[in-house]
Amino acid sequence: MTDVTDVTETGADSGGVARSDRDLSNAADMIICEDISKWYGDFQALEGVSATIKEQEVVVVLGPSGSGKSTWIRCINRLEEHQEGRIVVDGVELTNDLRNIEKVRSEVGMVFQQFNLFPHLKVRDNVSLAPIWVRKKPKAEAEEQAQALLELVGIPEQADKHPGQLSGGQQQRVAIARALAMEPKIMLFDEPTSALDPEMIKEVLDVMKNLALSGMTMMVVTHEMGFAKEVADRIIFMEEGQIVEVGTPEHFFTNPTEDRTKLFLSQILA
Amino acid sequence: MSEFAGAGAEIGSFYPMSRPDTTPPVEEHLPPREWLKKNLFSNVANSILTVLSSLLILVMLRGLLGFIFNPLRQWNATAVNLRLLMTHAYPADQYIRVWFSVAAFLILTGLSLAVWRAGSRIPVPDVGKRVIALGVFVTLATLLAPFSTSARLSWLAVAVFLLVSGVAVSRTSKDRSVSSLSLLVGACGLAALSLWVIPYGHHSFIIDRTPKILAEPGTVDLTTKLPWTLMLLIAVAAYGAGLFLRDRVPAKVARTSLVLAWMVTPILLLFLVLRDPDFDMGHVLSTDIPIFLVFAVLGSALLFWLTNPETGEVGRMVAVTVLFLAFGSFLTPMRMIIRILMLLLAMFALAGPTFSGDRETRHRYAAVWTGVAIFVSWLVTAINTPSTVPVPGQFFLGGFSMTLMVAFFTLLVSFPLGVMLALARTSSMPIFRLLATWFIEFVRGVPLITILIFFSVMVPLFLPDGMSLSEVAAVTIGYALFASAYLAENVRGGIQSVTRGQHEAAEAVGMTTSQKTVFIVLPQALRVAIPPLVGQVIGTFKETSLLVIIGLFDLLFVAKAIIPNQTEFMGSTRENLMVISLIYWVISYSMSKASQRLEQRVGLGEQ
Repeated sequence: MTDVTDVTETGADSGGVARSDRDLSNAADMIICEDISKWYGDFQALEGVSATIKEQEVVVVLGPSGSGKSTWIRCINRLEEHQEGRIVVDGVELTNDLRNIEKVRSEVGMVFQQFNLFPHLKVRDNVSLAPIWVRKKPKAEAEEQAQALLELVGIPEQADKHPGQLSGGQQQRVAIARALAMEPKIMLFDEPTSALDPEMIKEVLDVMKNLALSGMTMMVVTHEMGFAKEVADRIIFMEEGQIVEVGTPEHFFTNPTEDRTKLFLSQILA
Repeated sequence: MSEFAGAGAEIGSFYPMSRPDTTPPVEEHLPPREWLKKNLFSNVANSILTVLSSLLILVMLRGLLGFIFNPLRQWNATAVNLRLLMTHAYPADQYIRVWFSVAAFLILTGLSLAVWRAGSRIPVPDVGKRVIALGVFVTLATLLAPFSTSARLSWLAVAVFLLVSGVAVSRTSKDRSVSSLSLLVGACGLAALSLWVIPYGHHSFIIDRTPKILAEPGTVDLTTKLPWTLMLLIAVAAYGAGLFLRDRVPAKVARTSLVLAWMVTPILLLFLVLRDPDFDMGHVLSTDIPIFLVFAVLGSALLFWLTNPETGEVGRMVAVTVLFLAFGSFLTPMRMIIRILMLLLAMFALAGPTFSGDRETRHRYAAVWTGVAIFVSWLVTAINTPSTVPVPGQFFLGGFSMTLMVAFFTLLVSFPLGVMLALARTSSMPIFRLLATWFIEFVRGVPLITILIFFSVMVPLFLPDGMSLSEVAAVTIGYALFASAYLAENVRGGIQSVTRGQHEAAEAVGMTTSQKTVFIVLPQALRVAIPPLVGQVIGTFKETSLLVIIGLFDLLFVAKAIIPNQTEFMGSTRENLMVISLIYWVISYSMSKASQRLEQRVGLGEQ
C-alpha cells in the first residue's frame, strides 16, 4: 500500500494541466454517438447528441439536473433505448439484437448513484457473481479476483459482510469493484457521489482518480467540479437534452464561450 | 494499479475514534405494586376495564374447566382411538413401519435443530418466574374447576410445590442460564418417564371380552411406552450427532442436504416404508433400469455439452428440439416414465445456457440431472408397483398421517408451480402473462371446495382408459393448483418489491434475463414474501381438513365421524374436536415460530 497523500498528489500533478495535455488523437474510438434522440412520451430528453470518446479518455458530463446527462450515459449500455441515431461501442452497434447488447454490456462497467449492490449477497459474491456466470470463470479464480479488486478499492476486510453493513462510501467502492470484475474497457459513472455523505465523497473520488490514472476509458456524470477540473480530459456541458459546449477543463472553467455555460458556472461557483 | 489501495487507508484511520466509556441507562424495574398501578390501574377507566376483563377471563376459564373436568366427558375416546386418529386403518402388525417413519422425522428434526442452531439460553431466574406463573395458574384453575375436595387438595399440593420450587429457582444467580432445548428435552423425558411409572392404564378395545373393557389399571402398555421412549432417545441422539457434524461439515453443505432430506424423506417413507412396494425385479431389470441408464448417460452427455459456454445457438436449438420431442411423446403410445423423463430433460436443457460455466460447474449440472433422474425413475416405478401392506378401505393412510401427507404434497407441488406462475405473470412476454393471469384469476374465483369436489368426482371420468388415479392423488393435485394460484400472488408481491435499480445493476454486468431472475430477483423476492408465504403454508396445512367434505379419512373425519359413531363413544364429538384442534394448533404454532426465526435470520444482512 502506498501512502495516500502520495497518490493524490501524483493525481494532482499528472492530472489538472498535465492530463488535458495528453495526446489522444491517435487513440481508437471507444464510443461513437451520432445524433441520438430520445423521447419519454412527448418529452424529448435527448436532442441529437453527438460525441466521440477515445480510448483512455476521461470525459466528464456536466449540466443542470434534467438536462439529459443520465439518460445519455444510460443509453450507452442500453439501460435506456435511444430512438434515433447511432451508438457504436468498441465497434459494436447497439441495436435491438440481444447479442450485441450483451456484448456491449459485458465490456462496459456501470456505477450507479444508488450503488444498487445486491443486498442478499456478501460483498465478495457481489463482485464475483457476474464473472462466474457471465464470464464463465472458475469460482476459485473469480473469488481471488474479487478479493484483489476489493483490495484495490481499499476494503479487503469487508469481503464477508453484507452490503447493508457497510457505509455509503464503502458500498460505492464495492460497486466500482463489481463493475471492474467484468474487466470492462469502458466505465460509466452515473452521479457516483450524489447519494453520499460529504465525508465519504473523497474516498470514492480517490478510487475513481486512480482508475483514470491507470488508463481506463471513463465517462462520468457528476456535480463534483473539483474532480472534473483535476481528472477530466474533456468536459461536455449539456442542457435541455443538447450538448452545449465541449472543451478541456481549462477552457471550460476559465474561458467558456457559451452564455448558458457561463450562467451554469456562475450558479455553481457562486 | 496497486497504489489504488491507498484510497481506503486514510478512511480506515479515520474511524476508530476513542470514546469515553459510557454504560447504557439501566432499565427501570418497578416493584409489583407500582407495576400494577402503572399498567393496569392508571386511571378510573383503566381500572374498570381491568376488573371487567379479569372477570371475563375467570368466567371463561371456569366454563372451560367445567367442560374438561365434567365426569360425563369421554376423554378415553381419544386415548382408545389414538391409533385411529394417527393412521386410521393401517394394520397394527405393520406398525413398526410407522414407528420407523416417526423416527426418521425425529432424526431430521434433531439434526436440523443442531445445524440451524435453534434454541436460546434462558437465565435460570427467568425459568423460575415461569414456574411461579404456572403455579399461580394451577392454583386459580384448582379453585375454579369442579373438583371433589380430595382432588382439589392434591392439585393444590401440586400448585404449592410449583410455587415453592419456582421461588427457589428464581432466587438463584442471574449469571446461570439453561438452554431452551434442554428444558424441552427435560420435559419430554419426564413425560416419557411418567409412562413407565404413573398408572394411566391400558386404553384399548378388548374384542373378545364382554362387556368391552376400555381401560385396565396399570401403567401404559409396553407397545406404547417403549417406542415413545426410544423415539425420545433417538431425537436426542440425532441432536447430538447434529452438534458433532455441525463443526465438521461446512454449514452450507449441511443445510442444503438437510433441506433436500426434508423434501425427499416423506416421499421415500410413503412409497418405500409405509407402502412397501412389491417390486417385480424381472421387470425392473429388463425395462426400468435400462430406460433410466439411457436417460442418465445420454442426458448427462447432452447437458455437459449444452452447458459449455462455447456451444451457443446450436445448443438452444437442440434444447427446443428435446422439448418438442417430449411434447410429441404424449401423442404416441409410450411408457409414462419416458415422457416424464423427456420433459424433465427438456427443462434441464433449456436452463443449460443459464448455468453454463467451467468444467466443474458442468459436471455438477450433469450430476444434478442424474440425481433427479434416479429419483423420478424410482418414484414412478414405486407408484406403479402394488403395495404389500394389506389395508382395508380406499387408501392405506388416514387420520393425521393423511393430513400431513396431503399438506406436504400440496406444498411440494404448489411451491415451484406458484413461483413459475408469478414469474410468468410478471414476465415481459404477453402470452405467458396472459395465461398466468387467466389461470390465477380463474382459480381464485372458484371456492376451494368446488375444486376439491371437481377433482374427486370429475377427474377420474376424464382420464384415458387404463389410467387410474387414486382419489387422494386427484384431490391433492386439485388442492395444489388452488394453492399455487394464491402462492403466485404472494411471490408476485415479492418480485415487484425488487427495485428497478437491482434489475439495472444485474443487466449492467451483462446477466441474461434468466440469470437475473435466478440470482438476483427470486432470492430477494422470496425473502420479502416469507411472512405471507408462511401464513399460506399454515393455511394450507389447516385447510386439508376440507377433505372431510369429500369423505376422505383425514384427521377431522376420524374425529368427527368415526369415533363418535362407535357404540362405546356415542356423542364424543366435542372431546375429539378439542383434541384435534390442539394437534392443529401445536403444528401451526411451531411453524409460525420457525418462520419468525427464519425472518430474523434472512433479515440479518439486510437492515
